[in-house]
Parts: sequence; C-alpha cells; structure tokens
Amino acid sequence: MEQFLYYLKVSLKSIRRAPLPYALTILILSLGLGVFFANATFYYRLNADPLPHKSDKLFFPFMNLVPYECQNCEPPNVLSYSNVQKLSATDIPSAKAAMYSADGYLRLTPQQPPLPVKIRLTQPDFFRMFEVPFLHGSVWPDASARAEVILSRHTAEKLFGETDVVGRRLTLDDFEYTVSAVLADWTMLPRLFDANNNNHLSEVEDIYLPLETGYDRNYLSNSQSSSFQDADYRKLATDGRTKAIHQLQFWVQLDTPEQQQAYRQFMANLTADEKKAGRHPSTINNRLVGMRDIVAHFNQQGGDIKAFALVTLLFLLVCLFNASHLSLNRYIANQYEISLRRALGASRWHIQQQAMADVLLMAGITSVAALLIGYSGISLMNYLLPANRLFSSWDWALLLSLLAVTLGCSYLVTLYPSLRASFGALNQQLKE
Amino acid sequence: MISLHLILKSMLRRKVVTSLLLVQLALTLALLSNSSLLALQTWNQLSQPTGLDLDNILYVSLKPTSKNLQEYPAFADLLERQLAAVRQMPGVAAVSFTNQSPLMEGGSNGNVNDENNRENNTQSVPQYTVSPDFLKVLQLDVLEGEIPQKIEAWDGESTVPVVLTKSLAERVFPGKSAIGQLTNGGPVAAVIEDFYGQRNAERVMYNRLQIAQIYGVAWGYGIILRVEPGQAQHIRSQIPDVLKTADSNIEIFSVRTMDEQLHRMFRNEFGLATLLAVLSGLMLLVSMISSYSNAHFNALKRQQEIGIKRALGASKHSILLEMLTENWCTTAAGAGVGIVAAWLLNQALALVISIPALPVWLPLSALLMLMCCVTLATWYPATIATRVSPATATKTL
Amino acid sequence: MIKINNLSKIFRTELIETHALKNIQLHVSEGEFVALTGPSGSGKSTLLNVLGTLEHFDSGDYLLDGQSVKGLSDKALSALRNEKIGFIFQGFNLIKDYSLFDNIELPLRYRGFNAAERKRRVEHALEQVGLAARRDYHPSQLSGGQQQRVAIARAIAGQPRILLADEPTGNLDSLMARQVMELLEQINQNGCTILMVTHDPEQARRAGRQVQIIDGQLSDAAMYDPLAHNNAHAQSSPVAVA
Ligand SMILES: Nc1ncnc2c1ncn2[C@@H]1O[C@H](COP(=O)(O)OP(=O)(O)OP(=O)(O)O)[C@@H](O)[C@H]1O
Ligand SMILES: [Mg+2]
Repeated sequence: MEQFLYYLKVSLKSIRRAPLPYALTILILSLGLGVFFANATFYYRLNADPLPHKSDKLFFPFMNLVPYECQNCEPPNVLSYSNVQKLSATDIPSAKAAMYSADGYLRLTPQQPPLPVKIRLTQPDFFRMFEVPFLHGSVWPDASARAEVILSRHTAEKLFGETDVVGRRLTLDDFEYTVSAVLADWTMLPRLFDANNNNHLSEVEDIYLPLETGYDRNYLSNSQSSSFQDADYRKLATDGRTKAIHQLQFWVQLDTPEQQQAYRQFMANLTADEKKAGRHPSTINNRLVGMRDIVAHFNQQGGDIKAFALVTLLFLLVCLFNASHLSLNRYIANQYEISLRRALGASRWHIQQQAMADVLLMAGITSVAALLIGYSGISLMNYLLPANRLFSSWDWALLLSLLAVTLGCSYLVTLYPSLRASFGALNQQLKE
Repeated sequence: MISLHLILKSMLRRKVVTSLLLVQLALTLALLSNSSLLALQTWNQLSQPTGLDLDNILYVSLKPTSKNLQEYPAFADLLERQLAAVRQMPGVAAVSFTNQSPLMEGGSNGNVNDENNRENNTQSVPQYTVSPDFLKVLQLDVLEGEIPQKIEAWDGESTVPVVLTKSLAERVFPGKSAIGQLTNGGPVAAVIEDFYGQRNAERVMYNRLQIAQIYGVAWGYGIILRVEPGQAQHIRSQIPDVLKTADSNIEIFSVRTMDEQLHRMFRNEFGLATLLAVLSGLMLLVSMISSYSNAHFNALKRQQEIGIKRALGASKHSILLEMLTENWCTTAAGAGVGIVAAWLLNQALALVISIPALPVWLPLSALLMLMCCVTLATWYPATIATRVSPATATKTL
Repeated sequence: MIKINNLSKIFRTELIETHALKNIQLHVSEGEFVALTGPSGSGKSTLLNVLGTLEHFDSGDYLLDGQSVKGLSDKALSALRNEKIGFIFQGFNLIKDYSLFDNIELPLRYRGFNAAERKRRVEHALEQVGLAARRDYHPSQLSGGQQQRVAIARAIAGQPRILLADEPTGNLDSLMARQVMELLEQINQNGCTILMVTHDPEQARRAGRQVQIIDGQLSDAAMYDPLAHNNAHAQSSPVAVA
C-alpha cells in the first residue's frame, strides 16, 4: 500500500510537470467514453429483454386472413376480432390474450374534471403471461364483458388517494365501473407486447378493461386500426366483431418446442380450411413471431440509435487512438527519466507497476469526467430524440460495465507507451 | 525547397505515431462527411415546398372529454360553437374543422382509385373531412370544378363527393379531366392545388378531401385557422381559453403552427443530424487537439534539429512551412484513407437509416475543413518552434 | 571579408547581465585561417555565433563582404548564412534521422539548387572528406571523427566563402583531430576563409593567424603565447572541454 501511494505520488508529479498534455489526454478520452456511454445506455436499454426467462415462449401469430386478394403480401400488423376468435379456438397454448389500447377520460363522479388515461383492453391471461403483479384484488375470472376495471397503482392513488380501492366505483367515459383489482408497481421496458408503431417505447397503461367490454362500448384502437372492408368502425360492437376491422394484438404462450410445432400446424390447418371455404383469397403467409423478434418484425429497430451507435463507436475509436498518441508523446518525453530509473535499478516490473498506478489514476479521473459528459449526452439525446426518453436511466449493472470499459480504455491508452518505455533498449535511450 | 521525400521518410520512421494519426484522421473525415450529408438531407427536407403558408396557419388538436359530446348531434353543435367563437377572434382570417392536420407522418388514410379501373390503385392517401373554409385556411386555389358548400352527413346511403389535389388527380385519372369521374370514395367534385399531406404517403402531395362531418372523434379532431401575419403567437395563446369558453368539456392536446408541424415531422432526422453535427464538432476538436499536441511535441523534440536547420540557412518562414507541410501531408494521407472510410461508413449507415449516396464534393470539402482546422491548430506550436535560437540549440551539452 | 568594429554583446537574464563581447575590433581578409583561442567562458563561441549571424549583437558594426549585417531581415540573414557561411560544431550537430546524403543536401535545398546540382555537390563534398561510400548511412552508424567529417562536408558543400568552426576537434582523439585539421587546411588552401575556435595550442599554431579572447575582449596574439602558458592551459583544458 505504501509502495502504491509512492507510485501514485510519482504519477502526480509527472502530471504536474506537464499538466496540459495530461489534461488533453483525459479530455479526449472522456469525450470518447462519455459519448459512448450516452449511446450505450440507450442501446442497452432498448435491446433489453423485459422477460428474460419467458420471452422465448411468447409468440404473436400473424396470418393473411383478410377479405382482399393479394399475392406475396406481408400479413397485416394487427388482427381482426374474428381472426383472434379463430386463432384462440384451441387448447395448445398455455395462455393466450388478445389486446389493444385506447384513450379515455376517467372521473370519480360525473361532475369531476376528467383525468385523461391510457386504457389497455385485454383478456385475463394478459396478466399471467406478462407476470403483472397485483397489489389488491384479482384478475377477472374469464374473458367475457364486465363493467370491472383494473387500475395501475399510480392511477388508483391519483384518483382515490389510496391503493386499496377494490369494490369502489368510478366513471370511465360516462360509464360506471367497479374496481376489481389494483396492480402493484409495474413497468415493462421495452413494452414488447405492443411493438407496432414504436409503441414499445411507451409506458404501460393506466387502466385495464375487458376486451369484450371495449368492443361493446366502441373503444377504437389509438394505435392502428385498419378496415379492409366496407365497415363502420364506429360500430365495433357489431361490425367490429364480424367484419375485417383489424386492430388487435394477440399473444400465445407456447412453453415447449412441441407446443410451438403444434400451434404452427394448427395455424396451417386453419388457413387451409379458410382458403377452402373461400374466405382466404390471398396467398397463405403464416408467421409465428417470438417476442424477441417482434420489434424486428415490425421493422422498428430504432435506426437512429443504431446509426448513432455505429458512429459513436467510431468516435470512441478515434479518441482511443488519439489519447494513446498523446500519452505516447508524454511517455517519450518522460523516457529519459524512466531510463534513468531503470539504470538506477528499477526492474521492468517496477516500471510496470508505476504504469498501473498511472492507469488507475487516469481511469479514476476519466470515469468521473466521462460520466458527466455521458449524462449531458443523454440529456441532449432526450431532448433531440424524445421517443427514447424512457430508456435513458442507469442501473448498477450498466454503471459497473461502463466503469470497466473506462478502466480497459485507460489501460490500453497507457499500455503501449509504458511497454515501449520499459522494454526499449536501455542504453540507447540513455545515450540520446 | 521543402522536401516531401524527407517528410515522408520522417513520417515512416515514426510508424506508430503516424499510423495512429492516420487512422484517426481517416475516421474523422468519414464521420464528418456523413454527418454533413445527413444534416444536408434534413435541411433539404425541412425546406422542401409544402404549398402551405407555414407561419400563419395554426392547428389546434383537441377532443371532447364526455362520451355525449363525442357523438352526433351534440358533436356537430359543439363544432359550430367552437368555429363561431374562433371566427370572432380579431386576427383570424379563416377557420375550419378537420379530422387531421396536414404535415404529419401518417394518420387517417386510405386507397383512392378509379372506380372503372381498380387496377390503378393509390394507397395511403390522406383523407380529410373538412368544412368548405378549409381551402381558405390553407389558401388553396380550385383548379377545376367546384367545392361543394354543404357539409355532408355520413348516412351510409349517399356518396359524398371528393376533392383531389392536382398531383393525385393526375395520378388516378391520367390524361383526362377528373371532374365527374367516379372514385372508390365518390365522384370528383373539384381539383385543387397540391399541399403537403402525410410523409408516409406514396407521394406527399397526394390528398383527398371531403366536405363532410368528421366521421368519428376517437382520435380527436382539429380546428385549423389562418391568422393575419404576425398574429400567430398572440392567437395561439388566446385560443385555448376561447375554446374552453365555448365548451369546457374538451381536452386540448396542442396548438401548433404548420412550421412546428413540419419540424415535428422530421424530428428524428433533425435530432440525429444535430447529434451527428455535435459529434462532428467534437471530432474536429479532437483532431485539432491532436494536431496541436503533435506539433507541440514535435517542436519540443526536434528543437536541436530545427536549430541546426536554422544555422544552415533555413529562415523562420521555411521552418514554419516545413512543419505545416508535414501536418498537411499527414492530413492528406489520412484523407486518402478517409475518403474510402467515408464511403464505407455511408454504406453501413444506409443499412439502418435512409441516407443518400455520398457525393464526391462532400468528402473533399470535409477534407478542406479538416485542413483548415489542422492548420489552425498547428500554427501556434509551429511558430513557437521557429523561435528556437540556433545558437542555443547547436550548443554542445 | 570580415570587418568588425566596436562590437559588443550582452546576455541579459532576469538576474544578471553578462558582457560576453566588449568592443571587439577584428578584420579578417579573404583566405585567412584564423585561430580563436582563450579560456573557457571568454566569449569565443559567442563571437563565432555573432559572426555566423546566429546571434544578434548589441552595438558596433559588422560588415560581411562589405555588407552591413545590422537590420537585415530574418529571411535575408538566413540567405546570407546559407550562401556565405559554413558551420562546423564541436558536437557535430548532424540530424540523426537523416542519412549522410540528406544531411549534406539540406543547406543546398535551402539554397534552391536543383536535384542534379545538389547530387553533384553532395557527392563531391563526400569525396573530399573520404566518405563517398557511406552516403546512405545514418550518423549513429559512424564514429565521431567520421561524423565530424560529414559535418565538414555539409559545411563546404555549398562552397561558402567563410567556414566557422567551433572546437571542431574537441570531441576527437588526437589522430582523428589531426585528420580533421588536415582537411580544414586543405579547404583553406582552396581559398575558403576559416575561423576556428580551439584549445589546442598546436592547432592554433598551424593556423595562419591567432586571435585571443579574454573576458570578451580581444588581446594581441603576442601577449598570449599558447606555448608559454602551455602548462596552465593543460590544467584547465579538461574542464573547458568537458
Ligand atoms: N545564451 C546565453 N545566455 C546568457 N549567457 C550566456 C549565453 N551564452 C553564453 N553566455 C555567457 O557568455 C559568456 C561567453 O560564453 P561562450 O560560450 O562564448 O564561451 P566560450 O569562450 O565559448 O567558452 P568555452 O571554451 O567553454 O566553450 C559566458 O560567461 C557564458 O556564461
Ligand atoms: Mg564555446
């Protein structure tokens, strides 16, 4: 320890002798790392798996079961009510839930000013499939229509001022509902069950309503609803259930490869039958897309972040080259002293240890500076690309890996010069 | 007088340092040219013609908060009251309702085709349901036919006449007048000037209008108005209160000028271009720092050499020139690699975002800029180097 | 050739002023071989530097080839240096990174000769010093005496009218020193004016004329007979040379 402090002191002394080159090295290195940090944060968060133990078992079935004729078409991004009915008519999946989202206004009494809320209209398996935690109450017993809502904790607190509100009544868009459950704190980032239109970048909804009730009460999807037929989309209760109004997501849980194979077969049989019955004029194009591939399927991989990732990586590379160049210069300037130390009996090991002290010192200063720059970078990116705002926070795992990267970079930047200094021909250096 | 041959030799001798410098310069050039390209593209997009008076058109996006008000006939009455209230505001030249704003990424859209020739289908054409004053608000001339003056209701029986923008009319009914022709949505009543509708459409100037009630307000609707020049900010601050006075059961999502609408539409591109511009700036800074410190270090290390040269008859001027030339040579060599790197980066970026191919002049001007920055950064340490006293430098230790 | 009247040079640092040269009066005619002697720190190198326009002076006049040096621009001085003056330093001062050829070629480049002319002159100069076979060597690959011969070749390649040599043999053993001395004499016989600083009385005697500096002032050669002070000098010379 005492020895290490000595090394540290020597490092500090050599910095004080030439503070400008050192400061510039640090500046360049932390610029590169800071920019890299900012982008790495988004990249890591956006590509995170919100259900790592389960995401490989959740699938979204797509098919071209639409009334128009189209050769080699991609299936629509959303399903119709009847599509979902047909896809659900099997026991193969361990769980299945159709869903969509809508906007609404929530009040305690009709006289109150309205609270704008995001609604998810879904079926009971949704909560099991995505492991949504409950604080009070329980999920609806079945998928039928009922005037019962499930509130997020935040909404319950906002509306009632407390969380234990099971059985209380509220008004949603002029209809009365009973609260059947309140969720515990829950977020899912990215929200992969709703990846169409970049919706996976948004927060989870405030309130949950049975899907059937949503259709009965004419809630139109706020994300995408396409009508492939002459249909009045204001009449979801009737036209919405029978005609080709597409607005639903549908997820099935298939735990084993056998189940997955069986469900694929089921889809194949289904579309073949529909074709035979003349209800499937397009070419058959069935897809069973896993949750991990859903963002890619919707072709919404955040090209900006990717492009920027590529560029920041190059920038980091430039900064690394630059910083090692600078520190090489610094070491060459100090070479005479190093050679003198070696001549006075310092072993290569000693010189290496001295270099390690340099590395640690540099890593320390650099990581602080890089985190500061990274933080400002994130703020700037949040301002310029607000869609990714939710994906800008640091957790310990991320922070630690960022620090490790800093240490690695500092080591790289110091390594070559110090190697050169300690392995260079001794006498030649002294002669110069 | 200055020997390129000697400079190259000295660069080759310092292999590591030189190659570090080269790689870094090449990457800088690659980034610089591609981010300028992206910035240019965004700028072009932002300044393309929209057919709209961007500063003097305001769009209010709103929605009734009660179920009752969201449905006819209460909704028609609400609209009436709102339009009347806005029309009365001093400085408002024209006002209309509309189901959606122009200048959006996507929105309400659908197919438009010739009912007698369904093969020729145009997809994703924005479909507007507006009041007749919509054209006054956008200041669009009627080129052919007549705008219906009656706001049609959707009874599911009769067809509602459609109004097409010029480019769409030409696309659907090529080589003939569109007036009276039947589209899948109804007969064509008029053809109007082009304006920028939705970015995701087949062509941004394709638009279909119907003078009709708004079909449904699940996604909200809009009140669009043209204001007298210079009044936009004033009216925009007043309008929420005016609308709330007409009926308080509404939620106002936003009030924007068309210019803001345009910027929002390209927000991602703008954001990315800005980020890349910031990054390019940082890159230039880093290059300057490295040129500076390299020259500085060189000047220190080669004091004796410079002194000898001075003693042998090199003027200060030629020493300065020599140091600058050395830097220019490195920059030029880096740029050679950099132009290839710029092209490669362009290809890589094209895989993830839409970016045009790199024109030749861009890396060249990036090179010029780099040269300027490098020269600037080398200048000071190089002048310091020329001040070396030849007498002191040639003295034996 | 060289006319110096009342020339003084003062070094000023924050602490002290050093009067390195005081009222120097010196005339050197074309073709002379002048040896400058004097104790260490007396101002020999300073005088040589002033003569070579490497250093400015404070007062007095300096006419080189009939032209006053005072008030010339850096560019003019550099050109003057380049064309008329050749330098030989005690420490050789070759550029380590350049080959022998490149080293000798350097002043010719500043002179603006074309490549063929440069090549001719460099090869001629290398032949004169007997190192023609090693033109692509680097200075570090040569012995001290060889390096000094390269330095001489560099100084004479431009065929200067004046050669200024500051202890050219100071770092060499006596055999090497003699070779260098012979080379200089030969150059002098070809018509080049030489001013040489030396601590070696034998060398000083071989020069056509001896000038002595003590404490920045010229004294008559007769007043300081190197032979007479031979013993004293022998004692002080190691210190001076070191
Ligand atoms: N750059 C300088 N700044 C200040 N003083 C200087 C400088 N160069 C020389 N001097 C002083 O000028 C005086 C003359 O120095 P100079 O180098 O001419 O001596 P010298 O006769 O060549 O001695 P030596 O035989 O040891 O080489 C000395 O006192 C020296 O300290
Ligand atoms: Mg001396």
